[in-house]
Amino acid sequence: MLTTKGPIASRRRVLAGGAALAGALGAPAISGAQARPVRIGLLHPVTGFVAYSGAQGRLGGQMAIDEINAAGGIRSMGGARLEAVLGDTQAKVEVGVAEVEKMNEAGVAAIVGCFQSAVVLATTQAAAKYGIPYAVDVGASDLITTRGLKNVFRLKPGFGKCVDEAIKALDGINGGAGKVAKSAVIVHESSEFGTGTAKLLADRLPGINIEVREVIKHDNPTRNFDNVALRIRSLRPDVLMMSNYQNEYVLLARTLHQQRVDLAGMFSVLGGGFNYKFAKDLPDVAEHMMDYNHWFAPTNPKAQAMKKKVEATGTLFTFEVYLAYNAVKLIADALERAGSADKEKLTAALASSTWADHFMPYGPTRFVDGQNQGGEAAALQVLKGDIEVVYPAQFASAKAVFPKPKFG
Amino acid sequence: MSARARLLLALGAVAALALPLVLPSNYAVNVAVMILFSAFLGQAWNIAGGFAGQTSFGHVVFFGTGAYASTILHATWGWNPWLAWPMAALAGGAVGLGIGALAFRAGLRGSYFALVTLAFAEVFRILANSAEFTRGGLGILIKADARAANFQFRDPAWFYYVALALVAASLAIAWWLRRSRFGAQLAAIRENEDAARALGIDVLRAKTLCMGISGAMAGAGGTFYAQKYLYIDPTIAFGVEKSVEMLLVSMIGGAGTVFGPLVGAVALGFVGEATRALTSAQGLGLVVYGIILVAIVARLPDGLIGLFARRAARRGGRDA
Repeated sequence: MLTTKGPIASRRRVLAGGAALAGALGAPAISGAQARPVRIGLLHPVTGFVAYSGAQGRLGGQMAIDEINAAGGIRSMGGARLEAVLGDTQAKVEVGVAEVEKMNEAGVAAIVGCFQSAVVLATTQAAAKYGIPYAVDVGASDLITTRGLKNVFRLKPGFGKCVDEAIKALDGINGGAGKVAKSAVIVHESSEFGTGTAKLLADRLPGINIEVREVIKHDNPTRNFDNVALRIRSLRPDVLMMSNYQNEYVLLARTLHQQRVDLAGMFSVLGGGFNYKFAKDLPDVAEHMMDYNHWFAPTNPKAQAMKKKVEATGTLFTFEVYLAYNAVKLIADALERAGSADKEKLTAALASSTWADHFMPYGPTRFVDGQNQGGEAAALQVLKGDIEVVYPAQFASAKAVFPKPKFG
Repeated sequence: MSARARLLLALGAVAALALPLVLPSNYAVNVAVMILFSAFLGQAWNIAGGFAGQTSFGHVVFFGTGAYASTILHATWGWNPWLAWPMAALAGGAVGLGIGALAFRAGLRGSYFALVTLAFAEVFRILANSAEFTRGGLGILIKADARAANFQFRDPAWFYYVALALVAASLAIAWWLRRSRFGAQLAAIRENEDAARALGIDVLRAKTLCMGISGAMAGAGGTFYAQKYLYIDPTIAFGVEKSVEMLLVSMIGGAGTVFGPLVGAVALGFVGEATRALTSAQGLGLVVYGIILVAIVARLPDGLIGLFARRAARRGGRDA
């Protein structure tokens, strides 16, 4: 028995010793190489009527993932790489919800998305069913963060805060020009985003002594604004307040320019078309237009570096790009602190986030009911073909031109 | 119904009941739910457009009316959604009867009727966009509270079974229409309205009633949608896209047949999923989907059911 057992025991000891040695020497390398990738769902409308904005959002999210991976992944998780799971909402609620189901099956740790408020409302609820943390990159409705969903986080402000701040900015700019603006017409798109924003604007403008002469609603898509422009001309407002998605924003601005409708200013709140593309493609139309929108801190070197990087690819540095980029980075920071892709831990890490390594003019994050309290937009104006921050003063890169020059 | 057809039907029913148990993921169950839902709405269109030949381009008006009716009752007035559901069907049916009575009394037929239904849908969309009680463009959000008593389910399999029940009910209605006196009247109207009138059929009554049944079905579909996605707005509820979807599944499957909308919805669902899965390039899936649709419509004017029927007839001819 002993003779039989001896060699076996000895062989076992050798095997055990070998395994221990291999474990001691090889384990760190193996675990480093085998750290499971963390999947992040990037959900955007890359087809449909807001496809440009969706594609820009996807680009921003992917750039953040590439950057994080190039810098060694999530260190607290053994250098786990981030892996994008791409989804296309097609700008439809049903498709967006189906994509969330698909992402859940793919095992995503979190989702970033998804531009339109209506689709965000539905997809965040679908994600809530599985407890998937959801960072809203673009999606302005205040309802998004007031429904008590624990899985929803939004870095940027909602339209309620944006309207309040935009009104302050307009009052400041108007005051500086001797209160030339006394009346306004509001033109907005007809979904949750435009309607909600317009309603708040109509409530707040009389408070700064600007009379609202009319609120004009339009559908998505609208392919002709001739009648709207004629109506605006007949109402003779000093200021036109706009709240629209990309295509309608640009078309309305172009129609007003073509019909030479004189206004002291055109001021949009979260204007979907106010971006470098607009300023570059239609410089005459865009010149002196103003927008209160999400914007990077222009003095932040990280923002400038990323702007260069994006522009080097032939793409414009629009707000969708850097909001999605920062939303992914917010999740990466939470993953780093949670040390795990566990949904509950990640949600808790996001809720307690004090992340400051972004390039937005927000300060460290502080979430209350999923809404970042420091989120602040900025008043922008196209001046000499470029977009300048004209309010608040601490981030301003130029002084507002208001009222704008009349058509000659 | 032949013994073979009964056996096939029983096997199909068992397979449909077992499907959520064998599907590999919740995503797949969700796709199945959407296919069944599409089949149900297609059948609602088929009752008026297929059986009675009253082609409508604006059937979404009934869907949207139902969706708003139950959502307002539930989200604004606190009704239980299960109780609000029959009200949605009633509202959809009432709008169907109303539009039918107005349009048919005015003698509108064919493309004129189709355009009027489109106009009604657009009017309802604008009204929903403007009215306070629908919250205009803000839409209405239903609070997420996943309990069966609340017509919200954590497990999508339950939505599947509700959708399956809707499809079964719609098939029963279509089957009854095929066999009933009323269905025969509708078929006569579809083939030749003047001849039907000459035979003593009350054409106005039959067509209006048919619109009422069709509207009630689509209205019930509106509640299902609202409870599944928990949010509606005027574009979702009254957008032209849903009308096209209803029409398309019927035409692809075979308008005026009992199983046409179901076959069409399954075919379109598979094509849609396949093109999405096969192509990751932005938008390419939609292009391929469109090309396949055009090909089906061009090659199969009487739908897939027509193709199956022709093949069966050829086989029967050979056997004989």
